[in-house]
Amino acid sequence: MADEELAKDLGPLAALTIGVGTMIGAGIFVLPGTAIQQAGWFAVVSFLVGGAIALLTALSASELGTAMPRSGGAYFYVNRALGPLFGSVAGWANWMGLAFASAFYMVGFGQYVQNIAGLSDTIGVAGFGIDPVKLIALAGAALFVLINYVGAKETGKLQNIIVVILVAILAVFTVVGSLRADPANLPESRGFGPMITTTGLIFVSYLGFVQITSVAEEIKDPDRNLPRAVIGSVVIVTLIYALVLIVMSAAVEQGFIAEQEAAGNIAVVEVAELILGPAGAIAMLIGGLLATASSANASILASSRINFAMGRDAIVTPDLNEIHERFGTPYRSIAVTGGFILVFIVVAPIDTLATMGSVLHLVIYGLLNIALIVMREADVEEYDPSYTVPFYPVTPIVGSILSFALIAFIEPRVTIAFSAAFVAFAVLWYLFYARSRTTKQGVLSDYILSRADRMPEPAVSAATTVKPDGGQYRVMVPLANPENQTDLITLASAIAKQESGTVVAVNIQQVPDQTSLEAARRQGDYDAAHRLLERARDDAETFDVPVETHTILSHRTFEEVFDAARTYDADLTVMGWGPDAHGSPGRAESAIDELASSLPCDFLVLRDRGFDASRILVPTAGGPDSDLSAAIAKLLRAEYGSTVTLLHVADDESEGREFLEGWADNHGLGDAELVVESGDVEAAIESHARDATMLVVGATERGLLSRLFTDSLVLNVVEDVDCSVLLAEKKRKRTLRERLFGSN
Amino acid sequence: MPDSNSAADTSLFARPVVPVAGDDDAEKTARVALPRIAAVGGEMLALHVVEKAGGAPDKASVEQREEHASEAFAVIEELAAEAGVDVRTRVAYGTNVAATILDVAREEDASAIVFSPRGGSKWAKLLTGDVSDSLVEDADRPVVVLPTSN
Repeated sequence: MADEELAKDLGPLAALTIGVGTMIGAGIFVLPGTAIQQAGWFAVVSFLVGGAIALLTALSASELGTAMPRSGGAYFYVNRALGPLFGSVAGWANWMGLAFASAFYMVGFGQYVQNIAGLSDTIGVAGFGIDPVKLIALAGAALFVLINYVGAKETGKLQNIIVVILVAILAVFTVVGSLRADPANLPESRGFGPMITTTGLIFVSYLGFVQITSVAEEIKDPDRNLPRAVIGSVVIVTLIYALVLIVMSAAVEQGFIAEQEAAGNIAVVEVAELILGPAGAIAMLIGGLLATASSANASILASSRINFAMGRDAIVTPDLNEIHERFGTPYRSIAVTGGFILVFIVVAPIDTLATMGSVLHLVIYGLLNIALIVMREADVEEYDPSYTVPFYPVTPIVGSILSFALIAFIEPRVTIAFSAAFVAFAVLWYLFYARSRTTKQGVLSDYILSRADRMPEPAVSAATTVKPDGGQYRVMVPLANPENQTDLITLASAIAKQESGTVVAVNIQQVPDQTSLEAARRQGDYDAAHRLLERARDDAETFDVPVETHTILSHRTFEEVFDAARTYDADLTVMGWGPDAHGSPGRAESAIDELASSLPCDFLVLRDRGFDASRILVPTAGGPDSDLSAAIAKLLRAEYGSTVTLLHVADDESEGREFLEGWADNHGLGDAELVVESGDVEAAIESHARDATMLVVGATERGLLSRLFTDSLVLNVVEDVDCSVLLAEKKRKRTLRERLFGSN
Repeated sequence: MPDSNSAADTSLFARPVVPVAGDDDAEKTARVALPRIAAVGGEMLALHVVEKAGGAPDKASVEQREEHASEAFAVIEELAAEAGVDVRTRVAYGTNVAATILDVAREEDASAIVFSPRGGSKWAKLLTGDVSDSLVEDADRPVVVLPTSN
């Protein structure tokens, strides 16, 4: 077996156990009493409704999980589909949701310990009354954080045994309890309102299934096992919960639960004692301890996976995910999460902890369902789930609406305000921290921006506004001909300097077809290439911009430019053009057309007749490519203090002037000299170019670049003028697959 | 006699497997191991073992630990290049780190397993198990522990 295969060692049962073990926790061992008091026997319905909402999301999570079995789960899918703004929201919500839920589990743990040890309600410490439950919760949380910090691997297997014990205890409880069930005992339902509110409270019992997707990369045969585990765990726990609630409402007399709650006892334990005798109570107490402990343990572990995935996308600093040399654990992430858990235990009452955990997870579930719809609708080539959601699009739409809608019914209301504050924080976090760091754009904004002409304006501008600007601006310069190399590097450096970016100088060495690239690499004597790149480095360094240099071996020099632009993640490629600039493309015209019709980045092609940017002429008729020429003119003006002249040719002078004034203002060139001419476009350009040192032309027609290199250029003007000419062509639509997953 | 009995071939440092836990450990170990490997013209395999939980979620994401391994390998490769030693790298997965190191050494027909002591308190060893001890106890080939200078 390949080594990589050994990394996947979670079988179907182990995966199922993660979900069941995380979910069966304080939710079912602590909350049923409160639930029955709030909703009457409709508490059963509350658990069923919670299960149904979870199930809808579980279906979506399964599809996304089989399509993208990557560490990070829910956060990862939302970030991929909806982009880093929503990714930041989902990541923070998932992280903090798990911390709140862990705090809740630990307070439940504290209640069980208190019940067993029979501690009094408060312990006096130095004159202060401290709730022993919270004290135990803090100690418990510290213990489980420590266990994850040092990474005792035995806990993982222990977890599997715990789940079996829990399911066994609850099974005995429900089977024996149902024998005693009597419909006459059912406490009267309190109606729909309290039932939904109760659903909001107990929803914290349904948070675990998504954690299965966060370890998707470790699951054997995820195509089959992941959906089974995710959906199976939700179905199993929903059934268990419903049966437990039926027994608790029907097997004891009305008023029993209320009495126990009032006495501060744990209702589940008291019911178990009534049904099964003292042994039942003991089993239930042990069960409660194990369940809350295992849920907290699993949640702490899961949160470090979310951190890792967020760090991988630079939503948080990757330093958080440093691995401990001895323990092999993400110790910083665990410690920080542990800190949050301890704080939450101290500051918030148990109901708030539970509902914060629920609301933050409901936010993720809502987004997760939308993420599924986006992945399907955007028709991403690489998106190939082996499991697909039934009744699409109804399932994810209903799943999303129900998830968000349930939030509105959550009580205490202050939870909603706190959660809204968390979401607002995550948005601000993205805008002020992550946006300048992350580089991944979501499928959604790709979809909108690639159809900018057909999408509603607000959607397009919103997508543009929140687009990540991650990392720096990279200007690639393919170098072939030593003659015009300095001018190209000068141009590229000037632009890079203005954009605080980097110059990437590449030399593409043509290898004869009969020599393999491997052989060429081994022979590796490229003095000429090195000299070329060294000079490029010197030239760029006079501008004080960072430079990268690369030598590429290829059978095809021209086509390689496009590949290199992708490989080196260029935002702009500056290349020369002219006699023997890059050899001639060795392919048929149609192949070049295909290449140049989907430009991987913006292109500037310099027809070099001496680099002098003092007087720049920019002819424009509007359109995206002249946007680029305007931007370039502006950058050059900032660097060289150039005078810029804008030229527009129109039949109607006054209309033309109005257009040009507006265009100049929109492009930050309002103070440029404006010239409006009528008549022949080329003649006008030619005559004004006589006074200019550089002509910047936007490729208003699609595929200008391809025609340029196949000698079928319509604009003869480029050859007829005496000054240098810069042809600007904007990045063309790339396939979603390439943007999403990078080229190969 | 032919070369088969030359010092280079019989040396413990001809084809050692060098387990590395992280970049700090990689640097410490490489500094003391590389001169000895270079002296006999040997080549080394840098090995990082990702400890698996074996049927339960791991303590860290596999991808995360592969990244961690590549950081350690980068250190080794740089130092090895300086020392003029050929180095290969490998990530292996196993529930028992010592057993996995021994398996790989067997598969690669390593001349020895070479590492530097990790130190660490009794507590840490109790919590995480002591890989060094198990390596020595179950060894089926030479195990060389190189003291680090400080």
